[in-house]
Amino acid sequence: MTLEEKLKILADSAKYDASCSSSGSNRKNTGGIGNTAYSGICHSFASDGRCISLLKILMTNCCIFDCKYCINRKSNNVTRAIFTPEEICLITMNFYRRNYIEGLFLSSGIIKNPDYTMELLIKTIKMLRSKYHFHGYIHCKAIPGASTKLLKELGSLADRLSANIELPTEAGLKLLAPNKSSNKATEIMSYVKENRKRDFVPAGQSTQMIIGATKETDLDILSKSSSLYESYGLKRVFYSAYIPINKDKLLPSIITPPLVRENRLYQADWLLRFYGFKVPDLLDEEHPNFNILMDPKANWALRHLNEFPKEINKASYYDLLKVPGIGIKSAQRIIACRTNFKITFEDLKKLGVVLKRAKYFITCNGRYFINSEYFKKSFIEANLILEDHAKEETRKEQLSLFS
Amino acid sequence: MSTYLYDGTFPNLLNLITKLINHNIKPMDIKPKDNFEPTLLDEGITLELDDAFRVKDLKIPNPVIKTCYYVFLSSDKNKELIIYYFLLNEKKYQNKIFYMRNLKCVNSALKLAKQVSNETHKLKGFVRFKEINNHILYSTINPTSDCLHLLSIHFAKRLKQEYWIIKDERRNKYSIYDKKRYYIVSGENLSLKEMIDTKEESKIENLWLTFFKTIGIKERENKRCQMNFMPKKYWHNMLEMREEYEKSNNRRKII
Ligand code: SF4
Repeated sequence: MTLEEKLKILADSAKYDASCSSSGSNRKNTGGIGNTAYSGICHSFASDGRCISLLKILMTNCCIFDCKYCINRKSNNVTRAIFTPEEICLITMNFYRRNYIEGLFLSSGIIKNPDYTMELLIKTIKMLRSKYHFHGYIHCKAIPGASTKLLKELGSLADRLSANIELPTEAGLKLLAPNKSSNKATEIMSYVKENRKRDFVPAGQSTQMIIGATKETDLDILSKSSSLYESYGLKRVFYSAYIPINKDKLLPSIITPPLVRENRLYQADWLLRFYGFKVPDLLDEEHPNFNILMDPKANWALRHLNEFPKEINKASYYDLLKVPGIGIKSAQRIIACRTNFKITFEDLKKLGVVLKRAKYFITCNGRYFINSEYFKKSFIEANLILEDHAKEETRKEQLSLFS
Repeated sequence: MSTYLYDGTFPNLLNLITKLINHNIKPMDIKPKDNFEPTLLDEGITLELDDAFRVKDLKIPNPVIKTCYYVFLSSDKNKELIIYYFLLNEKKYQNKIFYMRNLKCVNSALKLAKQVSNETHKLKGFVRFKEINNHILYSTINPTSDCLHLLSIHFAKRLKQEYWIIKDERRNKYSIYDKKRYYIVSGENLSLKEMIDTKEESKIENLWLTFFKTIGIKERENKRCQMNFMPKKYWHNMLEMREEYEKSNNRRKII
């Protein structure tokens, strides 16, 4: 098998992992090649619009497990390949020198047993760091069930570690990934959390959940994320819309991946981490799933219209953040600017506010953007949905011009 | 009122603007002398400037200077005047200047500075080197803003122990790094030897193309999103997009 064929197989089987982020680390170039940029750098964008920052590959797609949703499961009849540590170093170094990538994201199927797999990962990364003096970004998958000693060693070489939760509930795991348990992943997480420092997983840890392979609701998923953020200080939870690759009676029979749902979860995740929202604000037993037609923040605002409109020149920072169309940056700017001058609707655009959305939920110096009689749920809801719809339409038109 | 001329460099521009502000002169325009065409009404004025002037002696906070520098690197026609008014207002509002977004010059300055820093950030990722001759890394860019210097700072740290050259094709200038420091040289004063790819090069390029094609998930294809993040103007210099670039160019020709 040529190196190119191997790369094809082992990138193909790694592509389903959603993470490609290269942020959070400040590694310096101390004689050798490479450093990391704290904010991360995207080097390219794939045909699916996702950022390519890291050389995302599996060490091997051989696996002793048989997770139902996974292309690499034992029972699948696919061509198997394995990279040697030398080969991985060769590709990483050559890609990095040419500025194709920001670093390496190395994951692997499980061969023989977790410890053995982890040892091979460590051997590879150690070679990259000490023989090739590589100081670029390394994200490595920690193999659940491997010994703490190995985890410690891996963490001292990598910038970021991740262990995937895969499914939001234990029941889901039992059904589709009977060899896995969420305990094993969370054991890794708590070890990393307790030992994290400058030379141990400096860029922190992340995890991933598959969306739509099992029956869990958005409420189940978001509650899981929220507890993961709280308990283990994760940097990110990634959501990966289930893509039907395998046929199995236990898997849902869908044709297209639930991308809108995935997007709603990312939006909500953002609200939890930066906007001061809590899961019960967004979802409850009566509404356990997000509205596909509207983003979670607008949806929340419409359900709490009695808290609006907010006065731009008076509202607190967190109140401003609750307004659809106002983000972290624009809220900060509003606070900083309004001590110097009275902000008008006209100024808001300059401050980065998406006025098309925000205008329904605010007043500027006591004025609503049109006659205040229109401040009604039915009016706002219809307009917001139409607005999104119009955006979709122009998108489609633009697309057809190109195809 | 007339146009005031400077030599096209950032220090000289600040030198001029400092003098204008100190002498309460309101310029109609400020332009580099090389591309200024005198007219009957406006012959252009070159002031006698302080030779000992140094940017770092100015009593202006660093973030303000940095913003001016980024605006200077932008391709906006009125950038000099924007910098002038930005600095004029800085005298008045001092550290509050960044929050005076309702002033046109402040808003424009911050917007342009942001554009330049965004483009620089993008190019830190989009620059593609190829290995030529004696393992020299070589790359060509065509950026909208003049970010060659900012990029060089980045690559001098990252690729510290490599020889590299980045060519800004649009401005016909090169940044050349010799493992110690980089030199920015105009193409007019430079004759480069013939460039030949090293023999490994096409093999590595093919590996990258294979990786690039493989990593996209076909069930999620979204070319519009790809193009939003990676605008077409960069495709020409990006190995993995060149094929797509040529395809779309041919299509345009047919239409
Ligand atoms: S352990 Fe990982 S690679 Fe192996 S089948 Fe399960 S998900 Fe796939």
